[in-house]
Amino acid sequence: MFFNSLAFAVFLPIVFLLYWFVFGKTKSMQNAFLVVVSYYFYSCWDWRFLFLLIFSTLLCYFTGIQIEKNTQKARKFWFWLSIILNLGFLGIFKYYNFFASSLSEALNNIGLQSSPLLLDVILPVGISFYTFHGLSYVIDIYYKRIQSEKNVVDYALFVSYFPLLVAGPIERATHLLPEIKVKRTFNFEKAKEGVYQVIWGLVKKVVIADTCATYANAVFDNYSSMNSLSLILGAVYFAFQIYGDFSGYSDMALGMSKLFGLDLLRNFNYPYFSRDIAEFWRRWHISLSSWFRDYLYIPLGGSRGSKIKQVRNVFIIFVVSGFWHGANWTFLAWGFINAMYFLPSLLLGTNRNNMETAELHWDFNSIKVFFSILATFTLACVAWIFFRANSIQIAFDYIRKIFTNGTFVSQFLPNQRYSYELLLLVLAFVLVEWNSRYKIEPISGKYSWLKMTLCILAIIALGTYADYKEFIYFQF
Amino acid sequence: MKKFISLIAKISLTTLVLLVVLDWVYTSVYLHSSNRGKVEKVFNSKDGNYDVVILGSSRANNHFVPELFEKKGLKTFNYGMSGAHLFEASLMLKLMTERHYKIKTVLLEADLGLCNEKESEMIAAKFLPYIHHSEVIKNHFSGQADFNELYYIPFYRYIDFDALIGFREMYNTATDKPTNILDNQGYHPLGHKPGNMKNDIRALKPIRNKYYEEIKQICKQNNYNLITVMTPMCTNVKGLDYFEKANKIYPEIHNLENVVQGDQYFSSCGHMNDAGARMFTKIVIESFFEKK
Repeated sequence: MFFNSLAFAVFLPIVFLLYWFVFGKTKSMQNAFLVVVSYYFYSCWDWRFLFLLIFSTLLCYFTGIQIEKNTQKARKFWFWLSIILNLGFLGIFKYYNFFASSLSEALNNIGLQSSPLLLDVILPVGISFYTFHGLSYVIDIYYKRIQSEKNVVDYALFVSYFPLLVAGPIERATHLLPEIKVKRTFNFEKAKEGVYQVIWGLVKKVVIADTCATYANAVFDNYSSMNSLSLILGAVYFAFQIYGDFSGYSDMALGMSKLFGLDLLRNFNYPYFSRDIAEFWRRWHISLSSWFRDYLYIPLGGSRGSKIKQVRNVFIIFVVSGFWHGANWTFLAWGFINAMYFLPSLLLGTNRNNMETAELHWDFNSIKVFFSILATFTLACVAWIFFRANSIQIAFDYIRKIFTNGTFVSQFLPNQRYSYELLLLVLAFVLVEWNSRYKIEPISGKYSWLKMTLCILAIIALGTYADYKEFIYFQF
Repeated sequence: MKKFISLIAKISLTTLVLLVVLDWVYTSVYLHSSNRGKVEKVFNSKDGNYDVVILGSSRANNHFVPELFEKKGLKTFNYGMSGAHLFEASLMLKLMTERHYKIKTVLLEADLGLCNEKESEMIAAKFLPYIHHSEVIKNHFSGQADFNELYYIPFYRYIDFDALIGFREMYNTATDKPTNILDNQGYHPLGHKPGNMKNDIRALKPIRNKYYEEIKQICKQNNYNLITVMTPMCTNVKGLDYFEKANKIYPEIHNLENVVQGDQYFSSCGHMNDAGARMFTKIVIESFFEKK
């Protein structure tokens, strides 16, 4: 049941009405109801994995209490038990086949014949997200930043709340649990903001991401017969596909959560208007970046210590972040490339230079800002080629062909469309985003009714539906 | 909460109005176009007068050369459509009848398409803009599982088949962007693409096909002479006995599968190139039209 499906369009209003009119009397009823509908929502993918979700929830709930109430040695035991089991499940479902086949390949390369024993299992949807919810909770208790949650229903809701269950944002107990602990009352302004955000998220998903996907797929799947212009456009289209897809999902999740009176963490903040890579990573998938910052980078020493240690920490955080996305060398390469991008600003101490939102005026400095944004976007696109390609070799071939083909004319793609056709749509989207970069979504404010009507018109008339695509981040 | 329900009601109403308006705009554009495809050509014309009308899939579209019929004095148009099944061939013939076409002979390619009664979405969608303006289209789709959505929900068909009749196609139609579909009296010649000369059709099972039966019935009712043929495939095909099995069910279908042989006459295993198509069309004319 995807957010942009008809089934969800029926599910959401029913849940909304029951939540406020039947189960809205107490906090306990609200939370219990949301847990039940979240489990139903999750079981619509594969009910068998519901047991894994419940097990993961109970594991963190129970170990959290044990960590809090026990003495130092036992605390450590329960802490590591929770970490190992959580990461163990993630490792088995997500990474086992990758390691087994990589090991087998390495053995074969040195002449030792082996055939890997691979697991025939599908990846439980959302496992990377709810595992990280649980991990942050347990780590925070261990380091005494928070107290354990005694109410199992409240904790279950923190882990499995349906808007964030399958693709984030990755919530923190310090942020969401306090909201869950109080009874929500209906707030019209917040709900209206939520509706606008859901509509804008839908625009990003069905108008931008899915339409760009049609062209990006046609280019990437046939890259060997594409000319330089098509290959460049393919990378740009993929950049907007993944941004529209994931930030669109996040907008829908945040928006619909507001309908239930709960505010989730912001996940995207107009990343393609960043002036350097450090700024890009402060604005892209914020909940994951900050998770790795708080639970990996800082414990490793962060930006303290010698330059060598700092460089090591940067590479660890980016490579692990790449690997989080999936068990493939392409994701590792993507993480590595981003670490390389980040390195100069770390060494020069400029990684906290662009903290405020970019501005453009009619002056010389704005030219510099404009080209900084363009350069950062170009770097991001190059990295996305590795993210999207089926192998590292293909990614290198793709980039090599951009420079060696030398033909910059429009090409008729295998999807029966010209490669340049989407540029106008992408440009219009960029302008809308630029004009609303201080807001959460562009609909609210002046002429909101007109803007909303235009968004609905775009969803109906310009959306891509026949070539249906699920959200990219559901696979992570 | 009242304010919120009112907001949702306004959004719903706006959406409904947009759906109705967009449906009207898109349909109006398609109703006034007749030069981008075969379906709109038939829908937007009346009293077509043909000696030979060719129907079928790409194996009709790429295999029958109307120019050669015309040389014999037979006014001909190739209405074969790449990807079409018999579902669409039957509907096309019904539409011609509804538009009062005068047809002497229907030349139907029915071979691989005999094995299923499903619609081909990519072709069937081309009829959908006219579903409220043609009884035969409405009735033909009435048996489909999604008929109620397609017929009663405004704009649903343009969303469901957006890649085929959505914004891009509507825009191209409105701006009169030309296509080559109607060139060569509907015939689409193929070049030679070596290296794809094998096929496996063992999984296909010919059946007594509802839509072929419909075509026979329409021809009988309207006194159209129906000639049904099976057209050639390359020699490297696994499961060539399919054609014999089809012939057992329908002995009246002329099995011309092996009248053109040699990979030099094929573009791919299931489709002849222009040279093969011309050779095949001559054989068809000699077999069915010169004797008369």
